[in-house]
Formats: sequence, C-alpha cells, structure tokens
Amino acid sequence: MRELDYSRLRERLYTEQLDNGLTVFLAPKPGYQQVFATFTTHYGSIDSVFRVGDEAPAAVPDGIAHFLEHKMFESPQGDVFNEFAKNGAAANAFTTFDQTTYLFSCTENAKENMQVLLDFVQEPYFTDENVEKEKGIIGQEIRMYDDNPEWRSFFGLLRGLYQQHPVRIDIAGTVESIAKIDKETLYRCYRTFYHPSNMMLFCAGGFDPKEMMDVIRSNQAKKSFGPAPDIERIYPEEPSEAGERKSVAALSVSQPRCLIGWKDANTGLTGQDLLAQEMLTGVILDVLFGRSSPLYHRWIDEGLIDQQFTWEYELTPSYGYSLVGGNTADPDRLIAEVNDALARAAAEGLPEEAFHRGRKKAMGRFVGSLDSPNFIARSFSSYYFKGVDLFDTVEVLESLTLQQANERLRAHFIPRQQAVSIVLPKAVDAPAEKGR
Amino acid sequence: MAGFQRVDDGRIHVHVYATPRFKTRHFNVKFVQPLARDTVTPTALLPYLWMEGTQSYPTARAIMERADDLFGATVRTSIGKRGDRHVVEAYAGVPDEQAFRGATGLFQQAQALAAEVCSQPVLEGNAFPQRHVQREITLHKRRIESLFDDKIAWSMDRCLEAVYQGERFGLPRLGYVEDLGQLSGEQLRSVHHHLLNTADIHAYVVGNVGDADRAAQDVLTLLHAALERAGGGASGTDRTAAAEGPVNPLAHRSGDVRTVVDEQPVNQGKLNLGFRTGISCRDDDYPAMLVCNGILGGFPHSKLFVNVREKASLAYYASSRLDGLTGVLAVQTGIEINNYEQALSIIQEQVRAIQNGEISATELAYTKHGLRNQYLQANDQPMSLIDLNFAGVLAGQARELEELLKRIEAVTADDVVRVSSNIQLDTVYFLRNEVSRGA
Repeated sequence: MRELDYSRLRERLYTEQLDNGLTVFLAPKPGYQQVFATFTTHYGSIDSVFRVGDEAPAAVPDGIAHFLEHKMFESPQGDVFNEFAKNGAAANAFTTFDQTTYLFSCTENAKENMQVLLDFVQEPYFTDENVEKEKGIIGQEIRMYDDNPEWRSFFGLLRGLYQQHPVRIDIAGTVESIAKIDKETLYRCYRTFYHPSNMMLFCAGGFDPKEMMDVIRSNQAKKSFGPAPDIERIYPEEPSEAGERKSVAALSVSQPRCLIGWKDANTGLTGQDLLAQEMLTGVILDVLFGRSSPLYHRWIDEGLIDQQFTWEYELTPSYGYSLVGGNTADPDRLIAEVNDALARAAAEGLPEEAFHRGRKKAMGRFVGSLDSPNFIARSFSSYYFKGVDLFDTVEVLESLTLQQANERLRAHFIPRQQAVSIVLPKAVDAPAEKGR
Repeated sequence: MAGFQRVDDGRIHVHVYATPRFKTRHFNVKFVQPLARDTVTPTALLPYLWMEGTQSYPTARAIMERADDLFGATVRTSIGKRGDRHVVEAYAGVPDEQAFRGATGLFQQAQALAAEVCSQPVLEGNAFPQRHVQREITLHKRRIESLFDDKIAWSMDRCLEAVYQGERFGLPRLGYVEDLGQLSGEQLRSVHHHLLNTADIHAYVVGNVGDADRAAQDVLTLLHAALERAGGGASGTDRTAAAEGPVNPLAHRSGDVRTVVDEQPVNQGKLNLGFRTGISCRDDDYPAMLVCNGILGGFPHSKLFVNVREKASLAYYASSRLDGLTGVLAVQTGIEINNYEQALSIIQEQVRAIQNGEISATELAYTKHGLRNQYLQANDQPMSLIDLNFAGVLAGQARELEELLKRIEAVTADDVVRVSSNIQLDTVYFLRNEVSRGA
C-alpha cells in the first residue's frame, strides 16, 4: 500500500493495485463518521461498439450500460438494497457517458458495507423475468427526463454537435432500444467490462486505511477472475464540425431555453494535459459568462437571461464540449450576443485581472469542496480513467497563464464547431397568474 | 459529540459549531418572520435585492467580484419557508485559509461581506434604487413562472397548496406575480427595515473557528454594528417572530378528500398524495412517525419502492417524505398516465397495511438503521447540521441528536401502528396530459 501525501491540501491517499488488477484508493478523513465508497467500471453509454481480443466487433443496444447498472442490484437472495439497509447504509448507482459507479454511504459498519459493495457488483444475476420487469421502470425514468427542459435542451445540443459519436445518444437509451435488451447481452457486456482490471475502488471518510485495505484485499483474494479481456472500444470517426446547427423542441414550459455549444476538436488528451485544458476552458467561460462578468449583468439588465444562466465544459479522451445558456426571453438574440462577445474576446483577449480572479476563484471552490467525501470519491473516480489526479487541480490552476487562455479562446470557440439547442413553450398554457 | 453552542442576546441568537474537521467555514444569518399575505411578495424579493448592491459594493457585479477575490467565497442569499414562517437568509462560505498564500483573515472578511449584504443595501434617498427594483421584479416574475418548468417540484407544490388551502402555511415561498407590479423602492425599503428591526435573527457559524464563545461574540458584535448602521438596533419594540411562539403542525381537518387534476402537454403523469399527521418534531410521537414514514416510502426497502416500483414496474421513483414542522406527509410518483387508478390504489394499500400492523421485523429494523445513518451523516455536512438545528429551534424543541437517535431506536412496531392512525389523506393530486375534447 503506497501512501501519497498532499500536505498543502491536508489530504492523504493510500493506494494499491491488487493481484487481479483492481486499483484501490483510500482517502481517510480524520474526525469524520461518514464513509463514502464508489466502485467504478470504465464502461458507460458511449461504449456501445467494442471488440474483445480477436472476436468480431459487437454492437449492443443503446442504453445497455445503464440497464446493467439497474440490474446489478438483483441477487438470488433478492434486492441488494436490503443488504445495505441491514447495515444502515444508503446505496445508489449512476451511469455516465464513460463510466458506471456503484456507491454506498454509511456511518457505521463500513467494512461490512464494503464487502456488500464488492460482492454485489461482482456477482451478476440476470433472469428473463427480472430483465423484463426493469423495462417498465427504466421506461418511466426515460419519460421523466422527456419532460425535463434542462435534459432535453442538453441532448438536443449533443445531437447537434456530434454527427457520429455515441455521446449524442441519451445515456438511458430509448424505450425502443431497451426493448431489445435481454439477459444474454447483459452478461456479455458484464463479462467484457466488469473485470477488476477495468475497475477502480475509492473510499473516503472516517475509517482506518490499513484495516479497510485488508478487508478489500481478502475479499478479492477469495474470488477468481479469468484473464483480463483485451477490450477495444470502437468509436466512429467524428468530423470536427457540428452536424445539425440548430435543433428546436417544444415542451410544457413557461419560457424558452437555449443552449449554445462548441464541439472540442482537441481531444485525445489524458493526464495533466487533459486537466489543464479542462481548467483553462472553465476559467475562460467563467470570466466571459460567469456571475462576475460584465456580460452576465448586462444581459440580466436587458431581460435577456435570468439567474439560471450557466456554463459547462466537459472533456474526456474521446470527446469534449463546452456550452453556455439557460432560460432566455429571446433565443436568437442570445445566440447573436454570445457570438459577438466571443468574437470580441478573441480579438481583444481576456482582461488580465479578471483571468487571475477567475483562477483564484476556481482554486478556492476546489479546496472548499474537499470537505465532502462524496465529492472526493466521485471526482477522483471520474478523473482516474482519464489519467488525471484530482489533487493536481490547484497546481494546474496556478500554472495557467493569460497567454494560454487567449490561445485556447481562439482555438476552441470556432463557429463551424458550434450548435444551438432551443426548447420552446409548447402551448399557450402558461401558468395562471398566481403564486406557487 | 459537542453540538451547537448557543448565545442569546435579545432577539439575536448565535449558534456556533466549532470543529477542525471542515476545511470550509460557514456563516449563515436567518431572519425569521411570520408568513403573511400582505408581506409575502416584498419579503421574498428582499434577499435578491440585497445582492444588487451594498454601500461598499454598489452593484451586483461588485459584490460578486469581491467574493471571487476572497478566494472564491460563496456569498448568496435566499428565501425559505419553514412551516408558517418566512426565512430570509444570507450565507458566506470560504475555503481553508491555510491552503493559500495571502488568505489570512478570509473568514472575517466573508462574514463582514454577508452582514453588509443583508443590512446595508445600496439606497437612493430612502428607497432601493429604481433600476435594481425593476431588474429584480423582472427576474422574480420569471423565478415564479419557471417553477412550472420542473414538473416534479411543481406537482409537489400544487399538492401542498391544496393541503394548506386557507392556511398561512400555504402562502407561496416566492410570493405572487400579481403583487409585483405595485412594489416600489420605498415600500421595499420599509419592508426591509421592518424585517431587520423585528425579525428573530438566528446566526450560524460552522467550521474550524477555534473558540466557540469568541466566535459567537464576534458575530454578535458584527450583527449589532450592522443593525445599528441600518438604523434600528437590535431592540425593536414591534411584535417579533418569537412572540408567535413555536411553529405548530397542521391540524387534522374534517370533510372529504380533495382531488386536484392539472392538464398539461406532459409525457409522464405525476401522482402526489398529501396527508396530515398532526405530529411535528416537538411531539413525543415524532420519532415513531419518522419510522412510520420511513417504512412507507423513505428508502429503497420501503413499501412504496418495493410495491409501486419493484413489483408493479409502475414508476421509477415512488417515495414519501415527512415535514418535521408541519407534520404533512407527502407521497410522490411519476407514472404512465393510464396507470393512475392502479398506482393510487397500491399507494393507499401501503398506508393501510401499516395501519393494519403489517410491518415485518426487517422493515422496522432497516428503517431504524437508515434513519440513524441519515442523522449521523448530517454530522459531516455543515449545512445539514444547521438545517436540523434550525428546525428544532423553530418547533421550540431543539433535541440533541443523541436523544433523537435513542428515541428512534426505542420505537416498536406497535408505536408505528399507533401513530399511523393519525395519517389522514387530505389531497390527491394528479398532473396528466391534456384530454382531447371533441370540437
């Protein structure tokens, strides 16, 4: 077990790679009672075409990684939630574009809960009946998101930005695509992506690292896994320009919503390079469109946006995108304003003082979030498969320069890589003029 | 475990939780006053107006820049509703000073900023500046209207609105769109003044602040000075929220169950049920009611999750929650519109099952473990610590956590059955798609 000391952040990590290939990280937080653990596989919704060894490539139905996440909670003894409940833990799971995470949080019986977590994720139990039953439940999950303007505008944007890459497809798939899922396909995906060598375990909070590592080590030593599958993830060739430049959906909402996004052409990064590009782009977006920016306040003054206006940047080795937007009285004007602002910023560069303030803010926010075992576990895990160490964040932010920001600004916000996604009120059924 | 240390000074109450565990230091000031029809809208507007500018930082942007300069301090204000009280809040949180060069005194500066935000707004003469008022009225109208866009929250609000019909509890947290047009800068200033001079003030400090007593005295000094400058001092003679006494739960009512149906072009139906229990967190039966709600719909092992979701595949979410101040228990689900009858009957069956004593030993044990875990987790979450303490303060019964956990542990199946007889269905709310009507 190696010990990593991040003295400046007053954080300490213990790590070990087990014989079966599983990588474990432990982040004890003295004085905490809560223990938060995540067991993550490097497998998400975008991994829908893959090849194992010299087998023929397989294409599996959209939404299967998420379906698998739901089904892992079944065991021959019944519902895994009961095992956690017995030990007073709250369990959950989530699927993203590139990973699936199973988690628990507890304040007592951490070692027992760790065993439950390891065991249920490593013991699949799918039957025709329990697979069929899930289709109704996930169908309602999809329906729930169908009514959600944030979700709809977000996926409208990704569908517009990406012509081929599966990041354009909803993580849960569609009611039609999940209808095709059966237990054989689930087992196949499970065998491919749930080998310990494709997974990592993270635990943060109040526990003894040595004891916890012993529990994990002995739990894993009792199980035998075959050799690690040699996985090739096959992503289609994605052109650099956006596909559909503008998409519009109609929903039962009180006002229009508009997201403006840019596909990142500079992908394929990992490690510190990826982190630096992520941090740099985030600072740029915050300086231009954040709560301290002149633009944000001018647009509020003019009634163009409201306080839900936001920006976002996400980068992984195979795709990346930035976006700005929110509720707006006039989507077309917002698009024109955003493009004007970016053209001006590219010509003039960012104000130096604002850039440094933005860096400082990002550092402060990062350090503040380290009080949360939940944040540490989730963020560390999501960075891990990108080759990034979460705890390098402050150093990376400190190293960023204004010149880098201005170069990045000019390289990333390219009109032909832009798409917009608009959600308009469906009918004249705006809410009655009364308070809620 | 040491909890909050409390210092009372007239209508100002300071609660300090000193611990080296957290890297972030939190400061939260809450102004509490009774909800009332004529003040609900201007009061709801105040915290947003506060963020438009202070005397030292005269614009919204200047406040945000100042916060960013304090290593990204989080400074925000909000409006909340707790039972029949309106709570106007200011908050500041700053990261650990030791992680940065040049960050000494960060917390004091952030506290001063939060205090200035709520006590020294930028004024023109005796009024909030017209430009700020206009900007916030426009934003507030949208704020209220956009509640409509989140169907899960909207359905819950509509259901509770029906349950609280005709009661002060039912006044909307954000106020009414129709009131906004008549608000002037002078009037808002006088509502602001009244709040500062008469509200009960609860200030919370959580974090690595060394000596709790000293931290509390510092806050008292800061608030006294702020109120003094605001032109009132802390000894207003008007009726204060404290004179209202503790928040009482909503009583049972006679009459039929109400049914409310809204039609909108939605993909999924939302079925919500509102029940009155008459039991709030200051009652001896509260721990049993907590367990009862937990067995019904608080967890993935609960009856609603198991029967509505897992067995019948009708929903992705099916849960219940208990409001510790009002004693209202609310069930929420999202379902296929055609499954309304089936879902409604399964939900009502689960309540009846508890009332008939169909509670297994594992349901009881798991629920108690789950509740215990929720409360213990709050110990590691500063904002949850504040929330829990504040709910107890409002109900006039700030139980120590240890005490509550002991009582939960002692709850028996018979206790659950006994308190479940108090669960009275008040409203069935359904949001559905539009029924096509012949031309």
